[in-house]
Amino acid sequence: MGMEKLSYDLKSEEALSVLTDVFSQAITGELIGMSNFASMAGAIDDPHEKMEAVEHADSERQHAEGFMAHAEKLGLKVKVNLEGEYWGRVRNIFLSYAAKKDFIACLAIQEVMLEAFAVSMYTDVGKALDNEAGKMFLSIAEEEKEHMEHSTEFLRDELHKDKDKFLKKFEQLHNDCMTILAEFSLTSDCTDSCGVCHGNCMKSSLPIVGLDVGSMRGNALSLYARALDHIGIPGEQSIKWIANLPV
Amino acid sequence: MENEAHIDFAVIGHQDNWPSVQSIINGMRSGENEPLTVAQIKGTFSYIPPRSIFKMTAKSKTGKTVNGVYIETFIDPDELTPHFLRKNINKVNEAISVALKHKSKIIALGGFTSIVLEGNLSQFDTSSSKITTGNTLTSAYILKGVTDAILKLNKRLQDCNVLIIGATGDIGSACTHYLSSKVKGLLLNARNGRKLEAFAQQFTDTSAEIKWNTRLEELIPMADIIICVASSASIEIKDYKKQVVICDAGYPKNLDTKIEEGNGTFVFHGGMGTVNYGYDFKPDYREHFYNYPRPHIAHGCILEAVVLAFEGKYENFSSGKGNIKTESIDKIHELSVKHGVELAPFYNSKGLCEISLPKSSKG
Repeated sequence: MGMEKLSYDLKSEEALSVLTDVFSQAITGELIGMSNFASMAGAIDDPHEKMEAVEHADSERQHAEGFMAHAEKLGLKVKVNLEGEYWGRVRNIFLSYAAKKDFIACLAIQEVMLEAFAVSMYTDVGKALDNEAGKMFLSIAEEEKEHMEHSTEFLRDELHKDKDKFLKKFEQLHNDCMTILAEFSLTSDCTDSCGVCHGNCMKSSLPIVGLDVGSMRGNALSLYARALDHIGIPGEQSIKWIANLPV
Repeated sequence: MENEAHIDFAVIGHQDNWPSVQSIINGMRSGENEPLTVAQIKGTFSYIPPRSIFKMTAKSKTGKTVNGVYIETFIDPDELTPHFLRKNINKVNEAISVALKHKSKIIALGGFTSIVLEGNLSQFDTSSSKITTGNTLTSAYILKGVTDAILKLNKRLQDCNVLIIGATGDIGSACTHYLSSKVKGLLLNARNGRKLEAFAQQFTDTSAEIKWNTRLEELIPMADIIICVASSASIEIKDYKKQVVICDAGYPKNLDTKIEEGNGTFVFHGGMGTVNYGYDFKPDYREHFYNYPRPHIAHGCILEAVVLAFEGKYENFSSGKGNIKTESIDKIHELSVKHGVELAPFYNSKGLCEISLPKSSKG
């Protein structure tokens, strides 16, 4: 098969610059996910769950490869930086719980918080880019949804075992991780470089490709809130947590 | 555990303005976090899916206690217009699903959210949870309020011309039917002239003299009592009689800010009741959520669900549009009083208010 024709009508220098950053963030996020699932495999004693974590890590690797290949096809020079300002902090938080072999914390951070942002933002990107790249984002969003669903049952069981203890723990995880994601997705441009975007912060340039950081953030928080609902976290608790996030 | 306490009633609501939203959200923020500005809140608020934000407990005169939950729809206060109807209906439907998950025995649709019940109820499984707009008790409190106000002015209802703004709506229609045999004249106003005329024709054989007009200014000068149940921020009350009683039960309640009171002109917020034996919130957001001049005041629509829960009378009491019967108004009011849930004291946006007789009427 010959190289497929891409139907971008987003060929301006500015648009390609934004797309470079969008792909860079997506690839970095997938590699963070891959690393987290790999670390999680070491934090689990149950052999089936251990294998599942490895499988999820491989799935994230494939997503990263897919994004990389597509970016290359578009001639985008992506930047991958797992130690950037926000991604690095997220990874360190995750590792602190993995080191304690805290499977529930690892699930909550990776499969609820990070995946909620990934699924929502990939869906927004996919819908905005009405082309092959868009389809790829949408299809990966669908696959990431399965990771979210995987965690729900575990977390629900854990909540039923000891509700007060679970809510206290989840609140701590929310404060640890969601605070970083909320800062990352603030509608104002990042004051310091996130270490992934290749030039200035891409947020204010997103409209060039039909995106808007305000609605992307809003949709991500919405999906996160729904994920908490599915676990069974009371609304009066989750709204307090969300209301206290950085704005 | 707290979440497993049985829920007798659920209230689905929305905020009318951004300062109210700001007050609630900042009330949820912990002391170490800076309060947010309206602009900061606007970016996120309406993305939040409907959810319970506090639990309630209400006490009856009979000693019975009922448990409830308040479900906020997170409807954008700037989008409470027909243009956003579909979006808002989706939010209300989602809020009903939250109430059903709580296994609420009865669900009240407060304020704008009742619009869902004026349409099709069949999409919801109401076999175990009943749904009500609460419009019957709201109507009862409006009618009780104007009746009490007129009595205090030493006037008789049968000598009064009553103007109903928003007459073809569910509450307006209920008030029109109720008053049609009790007043001297009915002055009916609504925006849609065709619907208004068809509605008014139903009353041509009643004892009250009926006039209708889409132009409010044609009717206001004849009115002794004005009941406003329309949803519009732009209603202007001009050239009114000096001793007019105005019951502002519409949305938003802003008529008292446009009218000079005194010398017999009296404006109060209508459709409101008080739970005499009290209710409380958990978490206690009253400081941020509660804007009334006396404790334990609430909208009639919410109190209808509370009264039905006190009574163990779980049914779709108020549903559809134009279905409220005069007997139902009397019945729900009677039940309300039985449980110590009564007409709220007269108040408006300036606080509690009392009727002062015009100088010529004082002995």
